[in-house]
Amino acid sequence: MNFYEHTLIAKQDISTAELEKIEKKYNDIITKTDGKIIKVEKWGLLNFAKKIKAYNKGFYIHYKFEAENKTLEEINKNSVIDNSLLRHLTVKYKKLDTETEYFKETNEKKKQ
Amino acid sequence: MKRKNNKFNKRPQNPLNKLSLFQKSDSRFSKKCPLSGKEAPTIDYKNIKLLKRYVSDTDKIMPSRITSVSQSKQRKLTSEIKKAKILGLI
Repeated sequence: MNFYEHTLIAKQDISTAELEKIEKKYNDIITKTDGKIIKVEKWGLLNFAKKIKAYNKGFYIHYKFEAENKTLEEINKNSVIDNSLLRHLTVKYKKLDTETEYFKETNEKKKQ
Repeated sequence: MKRKNNKFNKRPQNPLNKLSLFQKSDSRFSKKCPLSGKEAPTIDYKNIKLLKRYVSDTDKIMPSRITSVSQSKQRKLTSEIKKAKILGLI
């Protein structure tokens, strides 16, 4: 078992109900294939530095989990086909730090 | 012991002591690496504030001879910057 981080970018024109569906879908994939979810972070709507497929903004969802190789294959298979996603990235870690959140401050300022 | 002390006690020479104009001075300009040390910030693709300091205006990675980052940290910086570019953060 290794530690991983996975981030998804969903399209901007998706409704909130669909966003929750996407989040639940990848939650289930990890838990079904004997993985352990440690943390889920929603970074919210962020601006891109450059346009990606004619979109200027996107919803970011960030997972931290512990799993084996077969869950990564499942996630990759599903996210390549998925039409509501723009990009995705998985990174392997020896140690996860769950304390520091780099995107928390920007989200709170927007709400106020 | 003498040799060890010589390494750290490089004082700026008087320019008139040189044999010729083109002789290099003993004390070279050097700066410590800002990313290594005890209280160094963590290099990570989510830490955009730090990564943006090491990227030019046209999104190129700055060379270490300008930023004086050590070689092992420069290798880590490039990989993290490329990850951030995939996610559209930089």
